Amino acid sequence: MPCRLYQRTCLCPSIVSFAIVVFLLVGCGESKTRLRPEPVVQPVPLDALVVDFPVGEFGANIIETVPGDIATVNPLVNESVAGSVVIGRILDSLITLHPESGEVIPNLAKSWEISEDNLRYTFFLREGVHWSDGHPFTAEDVVFTWQAFFAKKFDPETGEVLADENGRPLYRYNSRSTFGQQINGQEPIVEMIDDYTVRFTTPEVYAPFLLFGGGEEILPKHILKSAFDDGTLMDQWSVETAINEPWKIVGLNMFVLESYRPGERMVFVRNPNYWKVNPDGARLPYVDRVITKIVQDVNSSNVAFAQGLTDFESIAPDNVAWVKRGEERFDYTILDMGPSNATNFIWFNLNPGQDSEGKPYVEPYKFEWFSDKRFRQAVSYGINREGIIRGVYFNRADILNGYVSPKRKFWYNDQIRKYSFEPEKSRALFIEMGFEYRDDQLLDAAGRRVEFTLMTNSNNGLRVEMATVFKENMAALGIEVELQFLDFNTIITKTSDSFAYESCMLGLGGGAPDPYAGKDILMSGGRMHFWNPQQPEPATEWEAQVDQLMREVGRHTDVEKRKEYFDEVQAILAEQQPFIFLVSPKDYVGYRNRWQNLEPTSLGGVTWNTESLWAEPNE
Amino acid sequence: MIAFIFRRLLTLIPLLLGITMLVFILMSLAPGDFLTPVKAQRDVPAELIQAIEIEFGLDQPWYVQYYKWLGNVLQGNLGHSWAYKLPVADLIGQRIWATFLLSISAFVFSWGIAIPLGVLAAVYKDSIFDRISAALAYAALSIPEFFLALVLVFFAAQTGWFPLGGATSIDYDYLSFGGKIVDRGYHLILPTLALGIGSIASIMRIMRANFLDTIRAGFVTTARAKGVRERVVMFKHVLRNAINPLVSAFGFAFSGLLSGALMVEIVMQYPGLGQLMYQSILREDQFVVLAAVMLGCSMLVFGNLLADILLAWSDPRIRVENKK
Repeated sequence: MPCRLYQRTCLCPSIVSFAIVVFLLVGCGESKTRLRPEPVVQPVPLDALVVDFPVGEFGANIIETVPGDIATVNPLVNESVAGSVVIGRILDSLITLHPESGEVIPNLAKSWEISEDNLRYTFFLREGVHWSDGHPFTAEDVVFTWQAFFAKKFDPETGEVLADENGRPLYRYNSRSTFGQQINGQEPIVEMIDDYTVRFTTPEVYAPFLLFGGGEEILPKHILKSAFDDGTLMDQWSVETAINEPWKIVGLNMFVLESYRPGERMVFVRNPNYWKVNPDGARLPYVDRVITKIVQDVNSSNVAFAQGLTDFESIAPDNVAWVKRGEERFDYTILDMGPSNATNFIWFNLNPGQDSEGKPYVEPYKFEWFSDKRFRQAVSYGINREGIIRGVYFNRADILNGYVSPKRKFWYNDQIRKYSFEPEKSRALFIEMGFEYRDDQLLDAAGRRVEFTLMTNSNNGLRVEMATVFKENMAALGIEVELQFLDFNTIITKTSDSFAYESCMLGLGGGAPDPYAGKDILMSGGRMHFWNPQQPEPATEWEAQVDQLMREVGRHTDVEKRKEYFDEVQAILAEQQPFIFLVSPKDYVGYRNRWQNLEPTSLGGVTWNTESLWAEPNE
Repeated sequence: MIAFIFRRLLTLIPLLLGITMLVFILMSLAPGDFLTPVKAQRDVPAELIQAIEIEFGLDQPWYVQYYKWLGNVLQGNLGHSWAYKLPVADLIGQRIWATFLLSISAFVFSWGIAIPLGVLAAVYKDSIFDRISAALAYAALSIPEFFLALVLVFFAAQTGWFPLGGATSIDYDYLSFGGKIVDRGYHLILPTLALGIGSIASIMRIMRANFLDTIRAGFVTTARAKGVRERVVMFKHVLRNAINPLVSAFGFAFSGLLSGALMVEIVMQYPGLGQLMYQSILREDQFVVLAAVMLGCSMLVFGNLLADILLAWSDPRIRVENKK
């Protein structure tokens, strides 16, 4: 056999050609890096905010992960959580929330005045503040931001404002704020009084304006004005900008984007013109850079933290147990921050309508059960919430009695009707409705077996487990529940368009810390009034009552009064049980022990005072 | 030859039309649309959803949407991504190099190893080497790509010898040009393995079988009898005859250059086109999905075309037949 001959077929040629290919492609794949302009560093502002934390050392870097990539850095377009995190790090707003009490406190506005009639809000801006590129920040930027929300579409020939068939004007830039900042369909008016004073006038008394309006992130006029004029505002600050010219995304918050590699990472660098200083008068933040790695999901993010790779992390309740095991080895700490504002609930489809073929959304006899409040109460009494907490969450959740999570201490009403696990009460209520038990099966007054389907999204493991517990709890009451685990999009289509379902389990999280932020959920005309959305007129008396109370909550500026009204909303919801609330998972945060000046709060987490956090510079 | 190429490219038109239409129909049948996740958020005003629906044309039936899209494509405009607010072509341009790099490196790796191994296995048929390589090939073939990728990620996490996903290190931007190449190469090792090992096995088996067939052919005996040196017999006579089927296989490999790495990219968090495609499908960012599908489909046609041309080049018999 001629073996010698083939020994020359070694791997060398392939390795050489591979190296050449890499060489070529590294060249091609490089972003066309244009010259980064040196930022102009302006003197510390006259009205700089002195942050009262012990003086630390400059120069450390934060390393963290974010689940999911960004699609844009433009706040007018962004819809993703990752995007909000990035934008919120660069842009800033007139007011912010106190990390402990949740009160509205000064931010870019050093103070404000509200007129006697509660219609005019005058904000006084900090003087001498500059954008990250060194351009002065003035009231013009605030006015520009609001003009961008409400700019109308004009007919190019007549110059008239274009309107839709309902007579509502068409907007040039359909952003979330365009509609979200309207007050009953009317726009607030924004005026510039002088360089550092801006006044908003609301069309009617609107209590949450200070929070909602003041919380709006301010856009830089000197950067975006030309795009606003030529109609490309929504296309600005795309990922293309983030890759090639990140310095164009200027902000007022403590960081600016230094580089972005899609699917890989973002690097933020300290804003050289930030307006907060330490007690020595030195400009904050202490941190030089934040390196944010993009990972697939929350689990991979938690894994990275558990291996000591990242500095701060919020940990999912079902991951806490194993993440905790690395505490000593990797020198980090996990804190239990108490109840979160995430909620989980079940509701029955109470939509009395019919589909296009004239078939009712819900079988009429089942609709009769569901719309009887005793039925919903009985179901609520039959749920073993303690069991869910123990079996599904391993004690890392709290019982949720009503619409407001106990995390929102101020708005939480503890005096509402509560449904502990009392199956006897359920049975009594069913009997009262004329139902009866035969061979441990529950039959309604007409002798029909009580059974219904419950759908929930299949990609949420905890919810799937909760649904299983619910099925068992209902079986103990003689009710047959058929579970449907569906794709999230299918569920949303069913709950908001086709209405072809009997009951559903979902959850809500976040939301602004003002009760009026829930108006779309609680008011009968709301888009997220899940059990029967977008009603032209309230279908029931109690829904009319809730509508009325919610309007009062929006209209009054006196906090005590608002609380009184909102307490009553919570009481009505608890009595009627349109939402049958289950549990609220707890919040867990982790941090590497090397960080100083940490002061975690339940509302702000660990990173609310990032500007004051410092560590020994290393690596 | 030119007429042949032209005819081949013409078939691309009905193919693309059919496939894009199919994608449109499937996406309209799938529950929900791009705005569904937005609808599930609590503080999105109903008016905004309505306004965006009209802006994107989501309130119209699929054939109207398709017609409009087709009009744009014919004018050379692949559309805007809804999520990114960027022209789809730019978006794909951002990611295409990373995927191309990975595919090429996996290609070079697998073919560079498989062909010599296949030849060796044929020449030393029934030797211990042949048996071991056969056993390994069957093992490699039976492991799915994504599973191999998972195992490799686990390996990297346990040993710390290799990076956990990504295509560059944190300090990439500050490295010298040479350093950048080393860094890229280092990040490519595991994805290349995951993507390449499966095809090594199959190509090697094909190569071995072809080589064995050819070795037994009459002209080989003739050549040997004429006293042609064994080395020339093997490389000039046997190898060039045995490699033909692999040239067609090359066409298919080419078509997978941009879309074949999807699974590995997702599991190994490699920031390429596959990740973008996957995200866009989940988001129902229609125009990005369509562009990706069209790209994959065109690559397939071009790949086959390329294979045919290469075949004609490597095998004079095909050229002669064509001339008749």
